[in-house]
Amino acid sequence: MSNKNKTSDGGIKNKSSETLWKKAFTANADWPDKEEFLDVIYWMRQAIGIVLGLCWGLLPLKGFIGLLLFVVVNAAVVFIYVNNFQNVDEEEYGGMWEITKEGFMTSFAGFLVTWIITYTGLHGNENL
Amino acid sequence: MWGDSLLIVFISICTAFLGEGLTWILVYRTEKYQKLKVEVERQSKKLEKRKEAHGDSLDKQHKKKIEREEERLKNNNRDLSLVKMKSMFAIGFAFTALLSMFNSIFDGRVVAKLPFHPISWVQGLSHRNLPGEDYTDCSFIFLYILCTMSIRQNIQKLLGFAPSRAASKQGGALFAAPSTQFK
Repeated sequence: MSNKNKTSDGGIKNKSSETLWKKAFTANADWPDKEEFLDVIYWMRQAIGIVLGLCWGLLPLKGFIGLLLFVVVNAAVVFIYVNNFQNVDEEEYGGMWEITKEGFMTSFAGFLVTWIITYTGLHGNENL
Repeated sequence: MWGDSLLIVFISICTAFLGEGLTWILVYRTEKYQKLKVEVERQSKKLEKRKEAHGDSLDKQHKKKIEREEERLKNNNRDLSLVKMKSMFAIGFAFTALLSMFNSIFDGRVVAKLPFHPISWVQGLSHRNLPGEDYTDCSFIFLYILCTMSIRQNIQKLLGFAPSRAASKQGGALFAAPSTQFK
């Protein structure tokens, strides 16, 4: 993985992660390294999962609708980011499906954990 | 109940680090593993590029070359999994023991309240060893599995131990999709 090369030198690591952050938030950025772009998608997904989990728990959203909304919002954000913000050619990455799949399960698990824990903490005793 | 859930998250963070630490000591830092990993990654990327470049051509020479490289990659991949396997078994045993210990500690305890009704085949896990018919009660094992799924994978990725995409893609094509997601 590219991380490994970066960790061998702290300076390089800091610099490259800084530019990666910048690139991630720059519209129509150039992505010569496919792995980097997929990494951005991956970590973005994880962040979305945790944030949505927190929101759904705070609201609280219950039932199947919560799960469905997560899937829809998650896919929509990634779709908009890839197609409207970065405007990358999805065929280069093996189609939209490959991008949609990237890190989905991990993000889903992260979402469930934060949703369940926030819900338990705030509303768990109401039903008892 | 909330304390229990947070404790489980903490436990899974600890076990994920412990697991990765042990694997690092037994596998990742060995020279053989590092060599093989670099080799597999290099070959996977090369193969992918070659396939992209000559994907549709029916040139026999190219096909043969690709086949030969696939064969080499297959062998290297097999060696890599062999290096991993022994220590994975050891770690697997240790973790099964640890899991059964936690399981008995949290036996019959509702550790969290689910905000949804799990579908029937998940209920076996989410309601394991719990009394009552309220299926929104969550057992230890369900929360632990969810935590491990998200935390372990992310830690692997953060530390740079996760297999590269090119390698898992090629490996998947060669070995009928071995799942690296739920290790």
